[in-house]
Amino acid sequence: MKHSSLPSQPKLFSHLYIERGILEHPQTQMIRVKFSDSQVIVIEHYKEVFNRSAQSFAAQSSAKKLILARKEGKFLHEGSQYSDGFGIKQFFYASSVMGCLYDCDYCYLQGLYPSANTVLFVNLEDAFEQLTPYLGEDTLVATSYDTDTMAIESLTHQTKSWLDFAAQNEKLHLEIRTKSANIKALKNNIPNDRVTLAWTLSPQEIIDRYEHATPSLQKRLSAVREAIQLGWKVRLCIDPVIYTENFDSLYPQLIETIFATIDPESIEHLTLGSFRMSQSHLRSLKKLRRSDVAFFPYTVKDEMATYPETVESYILETLLAKATQYLPQERIRTWQRQS
Amino acid sequence: MIYLITALDAEAKPLWDHYRLKRDSSLPYTLYRNDEMTLLVGGIGKANTMMALSALLGWRIPETGDILINIGICGAPSEYTIGEALLIHQIFEGERRYYPDILYPHTLRESSLVCINSPQSIVRDYPVDMESSALFQAASRFFKLHQMAFIKIVSDHFTPESVTKEGAMDLVRSHVKTLDELIRNLQSVQVDSLLFTSEERQKIDALKGHFTKSQGDALEDALNYFRLKNPEQSLKIDHDIPHSKRERSQLLETLIIALTA
Repeated sequence: MKHSSLPSQPKLFSHLYIERGILEHPQTQMIRVKFSDSQVIVIEHYKEVFNRSAQSFAAQSSAKKLILARKEGKFLHEGSQYSDGFGIKQFFYASSVMGCLYDCDYCYLQGLYPSANTVLFVNLEDAFEQLTPYLGEDTLVATSYDTDTMAIESLTHQTKSWLDFAAQNEKLHLEIRTKSANIKALKNNIPNDRVTLAWTLSPQEIIDRYEHATPSLQKRLSAVREAIQLGWKVRLCIDPVIYTENFDSLYPQLIETIFATIDPESIEHLTLGSFRMSQSHLRSLKKLRRSDVAFFPYTVKDEMATYPETVESYILETLLAKATQYLPQERIRTWQRQS
Repeated sequence: MIYLITALDAEAKPLWDHYRLKRDSSLPYTLYRNDEMTLLVGGIGKANTMMALSALLGWRIPETGDILINIGICGAPSEYTIGEALLIHQIFEGERRYYPDILYPHTLRESSLVCINSPQSIVRDYPVDMESSALFQAASRFFKLHQMAFIKIVSDHFTPESVTKEGAMDLVRSHVKTLDELIRNLQSVQVDSLLFTSEERQKIDALKGHFTKSQGDALEDALNYFRLKNPEQSLKIDHDIPHSKRERSQLLETLIIALTA
């Protein structure tokens, strides 16, 4: 068979799989209008598509489909040991979207989910109802833990809904972590001191190699600057650091680039952390054989894979030394395995 | 390898004509082949098709990059034109549903399909056939979902008595170009997960044979790391293997450091 002409790239969300029970939901209708050229396939439950056996995460990554569903049960889950709760005792992450538009080689979602498709739960109002009993005391919710909610904000408006809900609830703190350059949602809300926007930044070479379909470093930095100008609290995350042969130049240079255009006084924290992943997720990542990140000779302890202690310490010491040229140490948070 | 599966000889004939396939008697099923394509006539109905396909795939186990296409005629509601080719995105069988992954752009009309047990004269909401669900079940043991496609050509509006052998042949013959394009589309989205050539694989396996299982796994990881990071570079793994266990461990350590540097 001759390959005379190969077809063009598939359209994002060329297929919408929609649970029958939410066909009439307003968000479903809005998304159908936005994707009026997409095939609509009515399903009974999202798992019959998302959890199919024999899916190829790698093949699906370049042709993601959208599954619209109603979340049954818990929207909120306790924060993970791999993340920072910023000292707030009640720390949850919300699971309102499964899967991510971006395709980062080091992302644990590849090990967590059987599919590269995105599931959007349209009943976010149920998450707010589940959260309400906790709001008598300070509670932190990470809204973009299993996805990048800002990346699909134009489709979901979930960030806007979270910001509106936080504005009405004085004990609610939000962490919205993103690589997105789309900050439209922020422009229509009054900045809230209890909301932290956390941008993940990487050297452009690392973005090109490992963070597929994500905005460039410059675009992310522009979004950061704009968010700060609007009055939002911003945290910057150089996390996960991917250790490569040119780490010594790439990452210190990244810190220089960041603070060449962003006033260090205008950010809350800088977070530094090297790559880490649960052993079981790493095993799944290896099966995909997509990236060298999966195959580095990590040290595994207590089911967690990290760089060997010498490498991990070297990464943090190098970056701390550079970052403290711009920020006092108390505003730099680091993630390091507790030995 | 491209696997084409039909139910009827009449559906198969235009295909073995078009692709110049030769009859192969390796299996007790009607089979036509050339170097890059295998055409199986699985017979009518779920049981026949499941047995035939299982026999074929057990005999010639598919590899990464292989694809499977089920092509045949179907009955359909009147909003579908006779002669129209449909690409199937959902297969119903009673309460069960199956979903092939369509990861490529195409110009075909997509449709759901109901897999039934006998020729259908009662008007249904969707096109119907008699093999797809069984094919999907058997094939998904061997193929990933994006390696499979189901293309159905509308032969009648629930008047199976009107379908003739010649009519079925004409319908399939009129869509051989459609099939060519579908094959190209399917092949374009296959992900090559084989990182090493067969020659490299032989050397790697021979080298791993000198180490324990966990040492071999660590070596395999390091080799994967090297190849993914340096796809253009050749592997240098021709080493004299020391006799002592301690020296072999040292060699392994040196190899892993070099590969992951």
